[in-house]
Amino acid sequence: MSILINQNTRLAVQGITGREASMIVSHTLAYGTNIFAGITPGKGGQHVQGVPVYDTVAEAVKKHDINASLIVVPPAFALDAVLEAISSGIKLIVVTTENIPQHDAVKLLYAARKKNVTIIGPNTVGMINPKDRIKMGSIGGDRPERCFVPGNVGVISRSGGMTAETSWMVKRAGFGVTTSIGIGGDSLIGTKIKDLLVLFEKDNETEAVVTFSEPGTSFEEDAAQLLKEGGFTKPLISFVAGKFTESMPEGTVFGHAGAMISGNTGRPSLKMKALKDSGAHVVEKYDDIISALQTVLGAKVGEVK
Amino acid sequence: MGRMLENVSKTILKEHGVPVPGHAVISGSEEITEQHLTKPCVLKALVPVGKRGKAGAIKFADTVEEARYKADEILGMTVRNFPVDKVLLEEKIDIDEEWYVSITIDPQKQVPVVIATTEGGVEVEDLVKDSPEKIVIYHVEPFAELQPYQSKEIWSRLGVTGKPLVKAAAILCKLYNIFLRYDCYILEINPLVLTRDDEVMAAASVMGVDDSALYRHPELEGKVESGSERSWRPLTQLEKDMVKVNDADYRGTARYTEMDGGEIGFMCGGGGGSLLSFDALINLGASPANYTETGGNPPEEKVTGLTKGILSKEGVKGLFVAHNITNNTQIDVFARGIVKAIEELGVDPAEFPIVVREAGVNDEEGKRIFLEAGITYFGEDLTIEEAAAEMVKKMRGVS
Repeated sequence: MSILINQNTRLAVQGITGREASMIVSHTLAYGTNIFAGITPGKGGQHVQGVPVYDTVAEAVKKHDINASLIVVPPAFALDAVLEAISSGIKLIVVTTENIPQHDAVKLLYAARKKNVTIIGPNTVGMINPKDRIKMGSIGGDRPERCFVPGNVGVISRSGGMTAETSWMVKRAGFGVTTSIGIGGDSLIGTKIKDLLVLFEKDNETEAVVTFSEPGTSFEEDAAQLLKEGGFTKPLISFVAGKFTESMPEGTVFGHAGAMISGNTGRPSLKMKALKDSGAHVVEKYDDIISALQTVLGAKVGEVK
Repeated sequence: MGRMLENVSKTILKEHGVPVPGHAVISGSEEITEQHLTKPCVLKALVPVGKRGKAGAIKFADTVEEARYKADEILGMTVRNFPVDKVLLEEKIDIDEEWYVSITIDPQKQVPVVIATTEGGVEVEDLVKDSPEKIVIYHVEPFAELQPYQSKEIWSRLGVTGKPLVKAAAILCKLYNIFLRYDCYILEINPLVLTRDDEVMAAASVMGVDDSALYRHPELEGKVESGSERSWRPLTQLEKDMVKVNDADYRGTARYTEMDGGEIGFMCGGGGGSLLSFDALINLGASPANYTETGGNPPEEKVTGLTKGILSKEGVKGLFVAHNITNNTQIDVFARGIVKAIEELGVDPAEFPIVVREAGVNDEEGKRIFLEAGITYFGEDLTIEEAAAEMVKKMRGVS
């Protein structure tokens, strides 16, 4: 199994006629993922690489039983696109858009919470399940196999690029992934590390999870709390990048918008301590992910499913 | 994010009906006249950072001579890395009580939050911990304004009553509307003053606007320092030049931050990969000369401009180029951009250490371009940390 996406996922792309979407759509179709519909207002009736385009999400849902939407629209249209998907009953939405105004992000996340809708992102590379060859987002680019091979490890990353690199490290260690998810580089996002750990805990095929983290937010501290409460019992291997930022003047952002230290909030050293104290395998060096995985899953080498 | 100077935020407050002290901006003490001193005045360094009082950059004066003398003192200061070239001159108000109110977005609950207290002159963070009963933390539902009754409840819970309650409640609603209207990430009034004649006035304001939302606020053009969270001091000339390189083409991102000193030119990405690469060099005892994050498939010219900028900094003796395995950034385009830059600068990779770790889209062609230029190239054969170690090894020959 995997989390969030599988053979039953019926995907639509909002903003399918845009420049950015065209590349994602061609890579996604080439990978073997079905895209049932696209939505762009005013372009209903057209086709994009064989995918029928509709004016509204409601039409697409009615005709194709859409249950997941990938949103690839410019920042000014992201809030409305999410609200439209939610109002059409879609329960899984991936928002790739970067630089959505914070007030809009607050609104779309609030609307999603009210209706129990899962939002991945905003500002995310998306997620991939290599066993079922289904991906949502730009994740994997033109050659997903390079980094994402089927296996028994879950990957969660606050960086899109590092979702690929970390999954590649899993492959280098001799394993593969059930699902790899880039949760988005902003501080205001829909699905946090903790939320995904809960899902990975329930997934039979996932035997360990690797996380890539950065300065800023309380996502790691919240995950540590979940471990302490017994909500995640599988091995968790965690790496936190950006330790150097602690010696820089406070409030300066390096990398993603969400990577800001404020007082004690967001310090990599404190995140590492919280995770360590809760029983996670916190690696000091990124390369140590490989040996940590081999130790944790060592007994299972050779029987990767 | 975009910080605003205090005179700008106060002008906006005033336009929206929030009482503020009369103010003027001066850039030289000789500009101060009797006209400014009809009442005692406050002089504040006009810099985009907080805690100016602690830094000694807020002073009081009763006469023109005193004001000029103190203005000169402030104009000679550097407050938390920002040299002061302007002073905000304000009428001193007759303070009875000092209150505090801020509106921000609560990152945990992901909704706007109003924080208010009538305890003045204290650090709000400390108050939250030590005397939570003296503070009101009030979350507001998105999609709605702050209703007058909610605003009234907030101040009433703090014991405010009578005419001040009515005024404070009205002002907080106005502040909340400003917060929404201008896409603020922060609007802080510290202190919000209750004067001796029962007026409520915003004596000091901090307003920050989300620069992702600036497209819908053309009226703020030139009033907001965009990207202010990316630097802890005014931008250097080289940083300004690199902003231009980035802005010249909308494709791909390129951020350049200068470090103090350093030997290794740092050309890495993306958001997480650059953090990892920088940590890796530091852990190996090396000193990067800058922090550059680039990604999102930048065009060749952008890569060339950025590389030239990185190499132009004094003291740079090598170049480290690394990315995570890319999802969409084209390695061949990247390679052409870098090779063009070193050729134009006459940099010889045989003498000037360059280590590249680039894998992803079109990396076979990228590899060929790098190797042909004599650059040490690694792809999927090494991890980012292993490549950083190769870089540091190569630097031993030149530093």
